[in-house]
Amino acid sequence: MPTTTGSIPLRKFGRADAQISALGFGGHHIGDAPDAKTAVEILHEAVDGGITFFDNCWEYRRGKTEIWMGAGLKGRRDKVFLMTKTCPHGRDASLALQMLEESLRRLQTDHLDLWQVHGMGFDNDPDLFIRKNGAAEALEKAKKDGKVRFVGFTGHKSPEVHLGMLNTGFPFDAVQMPLNPFDATFVHSFERQVLPELNKRGIAVLGMKPLCGHGGAIKKGAITVEESLRYAMSLPVTTTITGIDSVEVLHQNLQLAQNFSPMSEAEMKELRERCRQDAADGRFEPYKLSLKFDNPEARLAHGFPLDTRQSEVKDMLGSEMNTGHPFPEKEF
Amino acid sequence: MSSDWNRRRFIQSAAILGAAPLVARGSMAQNEKQRSQEVPSGMIPKKPFGKTGVQISAMGLGGYHLGSAETDKAANEIVAKALDHGVTFFDNAWEYHDGLSEERMGRALRGRRDQAFVMTKVCTHGRDKKVAMRMLEESLRRLQTDHLDLWQVHEVVYQSDPDLIFAPDGAAEALLAAKQQGKVRFVGFTGHKHPEIHLRMLSHDFPFDAVQMPLNCCDATFRSFEQQVMPEANRRGMAVLGMKSLGGSGEMVRSGIITAEQGLRYAMSLPVATTISGIDTMEVLDQNLKVAVNFQPLEEAAMQSLRDHCRVLAADGRLEMFKTSTKYDGKVGREQHHFPTTQEMPL
Repeated sequence: MPTTTGSIPLRKFGRADAQISALGFGGHHIGDAPDAKTAVEILHEAVDGGITFFDNCWEYRRGKTEIWMGAGLKGRRDKVFLMTKTCPHGRDASLALQMLEESLRRLQTDHLDLWQVHGMGFDNDPDLFIRKNGAAEALEKAKKDGKVRFVGFTGHKSPEVHLGMLNTGFPFDAVQMPLNPFDATFVHSFERQVLPELNKRGIAVLGMKPLCGHGGAIKKGAITVEESLRYAMSLPVTTTITGIDSVEVLHQNLQLAQNFSPMSEAEMKELRERCRQDAADGRFEPYKLSLKFDNPEARLAHGFPLDTRQSEVKDMLGSEMNTGHPFPEKEF
Repeated sequence: MSSDWNRRRFIQSAAILGAAPLVARGSMAQNEKQRSQEVPSGMIPKKPFGKTGVQISAMGLGGYHLGSAETDKAANEIVAKALDHGVTFFDNAWEYHDGLSEERMGRALRGRRDQAFVMTKVCTHGRDKKVAMRMLEESLRRLQTDHLDLWQVHEVVYQSDPDLIFAPDGAAEALLAAKQQGKVRFVGFTGHKHPEIHLRMLSHDFPFDAVQMPLNCCDATFRSFEQQVMPEANRRGMAVLGMKSLGGSGEMVRSGIITAEQGLRYAMSLPVATTISGIDTMEVLDQNLKVAVNFQPLEEAAMQSLRDHCRVLAADGRLEMFKTSTKYDGKVGREQHHFPTTQEMPL
């Protein structure tokens, strides 16, 4: 049996005077737990097991995941490093700040350890972020007001867009991106194109999608969970965020993280080579090549069609919690 | 947050579920439709097909949409009228509508094959030369001809495609063999995804006679084939075949940002050999003929003004979903690359 109490290696959060667990708790999947009670139990056990980094996002499951995480971390807030994301997707700073207030309320806290701009993936996102009244101003203000300790951005689409965000010159504390053995050799690779740049700048690197999002490569038998997760955690990153939707998955991850020993460079190289052929057309990285992983807020703001089978869209149809107007608002 | 705020957003979001394009509909497109569809007398001008000495019509008839036409008879009538107005370039692909597009074109061109420059595409999607040659024989049979004027590698849109096509015994060898056997006069490749994939294909210095790519007034400023690939193809003397002049299936017109006439005129005014346009009804044909018959290119200033007009909406690729989603990636390519089906992952 895996241990449910224990410790996970801690790593330094970029240049900052803070440390976080080498494995992070992904917020999206907790929304797949059968009910709030189960979600709270999973979260309690995760904290007891040594996870300190908790990921979430304003637009996940139309608020459900933040509400459940808020309930699960009640009384444990000071033991964790709490992150959530804001979802203006190119729209105004004021919208981003409205979302912050809502996230704080749902998460039952007065501050975030890290607040990130979610889902930078469209080619014009860097321009829209840094423009006057863009989300950059919201990050600055929230930090100045003491509502967030650190700021960053996330995205799963394109290393070029990440580099565009870095080129805005904004002082990010953290950057989140997909890191896995398939990304490593694909022509558009966060590992090769963005990771070294972040390390050079002393920005905390948050890896995500260690199992390629929905685990397509694992289902097809190209790689095991352990290989994939160990690979991602062995990169020069601060943490690797992985989705946890059940006690079983939590146990699997805790066991791996509590007993983590990094792969040797030779092992990593061997795994990259094994994955190279399948990586070449991006078949296991649909988040880079399709809209499948782009949430409705992103699509609405950028004028792309919604997908009625996405969980957020299903939730949206039964909810009054909707925001967002397209950019630009000008009519043609 | 006030409940008004929430309600307003919800209504907006809900409305979008029913109507894909987000931008407001302009009135230009509707006005155009109401105007007379009378086609002027005259012919579509011809343009040089690269450095080959051959000439083709400045507008080409897209084969995919011929398979979408309501009946075989409608397809026959579209092809006949197109020929009568000087369309000589006919596009197709082995995989369009599981062969129906080629069959219809073959029937419609019967007796007029010598008036047409017939192109079709081979759909190996990474498979070997033998598969390509089998597809060629099938295409020839369906098109009821003993040779193609142009045979192209279809839908080079996956990042690994150039390597697979130029691998030993790959599709590139099939192009050479078919040319040598006299079954095809010219060869080329097509793709709608990313200029960098096209450039990687060109980097092999293979003797392509033609290259097909999306060219439209949004492409001009977004992951731009116009800026990155067209000049290189022109420099090499290849025939440039433009496609997706309105966004693939009229997205740009539906969004209200441009009219069909503006979109087609823009694409045809570029330094291309032809602009391939999908035509599935007589109404669309007439609309296109009105632009293409006696075609006069736009001045550079007018083109720049269209580019600038489209720039903001072009910038995230919402109107060029063949670049930014999997919407236009075909069934056979998805199968060969182990991607989810269109039903599983439409976008």
